[in-house]
Amino acid sequence: MAINPVSLSLANTQMIDETNKLNATTTTPYEAQQSFAHTLKDAIASVNTQQVQSDAITEKLINGEDVDLHEVMITAQKASITLNATIEVRNKAIEAYQEIMRMTI
Amino acid sequence: MSIFTSMNTTASALTAQRLRMDVVSSNIANVDTTRAKQVNGEWEPYRRKSVTLTEDNGNGHFSSLLNKAIGKKVNAGNGVKVTKINEDTKTPFKLVYNPTDPDANEDGYVEMPNVDLLTEMVDLVSSTRSYEANVTVFNASKSMLTKALEIGK
Repeated sequence: MAINPVSLSLANTQMIDETNKLNATTTTPYEAQQSFAHTLKDAIASVNTQQVQSDAITEKLINGEDVDLHEVMITAQKASITLNATIEVRNKAIEAYQEIMRMTI
Repeated sequence: MSIFTSMNTTASALTAQRLRMDVVSSNIANVDTTRAKQVNGEWEPYRRKSVTLTEDNGNGHFSSLLNKAIGKKVNAGNGVKVTKINEDTKTPFKLVYNPTDPDANEDGYVEMPNVDLLTEMVDLVSSTRSYEANVTVFNASKSMLTKALEIGK
């Protein structure tokens, strides 16, 4: 069985090309952090909006304004579901972080 | 948020059924009302009221028009809405002989509202059951979402 000789020079140039390409397309860690923080902030803001809506409608009901009881309950449930979803996402993020911190170097 | 579509749909039904219940309670409360409104100086008894329920498919709402324009799928959630509260003008008023009543005519008959208590009770039970059904839908939808949060736990 004939074994093809490895052409080192060609492989090396290819590798350098690959790394150059990688550098060109990937974002810097700072940028990645910024975009992650931004996404997280947006998500939490939307969850907060739900909580604020729930608060507002509950207050309306207490003040005797024209609000249906089921509307209050539904808004509260929606807020609770979004909050639970956020908690799940946070748990996942922290899990990933701890996994990385446990890594032996 | 699209995850809450079914909840919004069922919420619209809850609101509609509440209004139906309000109308039924008004009918039952006014079962003996002989002076509901004045027509040409004459008192007219209460007329039975009923609601018209229409499917609320979001036609004419900005979001549905926008979604249609950009070729996005129009959402599946078709709620319900009350478009009209109509008065029953077909059923005649009941005539009751009671000459002592100030609203009695020259023959001694009083016009009573065209409300039938039995029909109202049926409507009452129907709206209550419908409300319950929609609460069940809501709870099912909620438990579905809660189950989804358990994925991968």
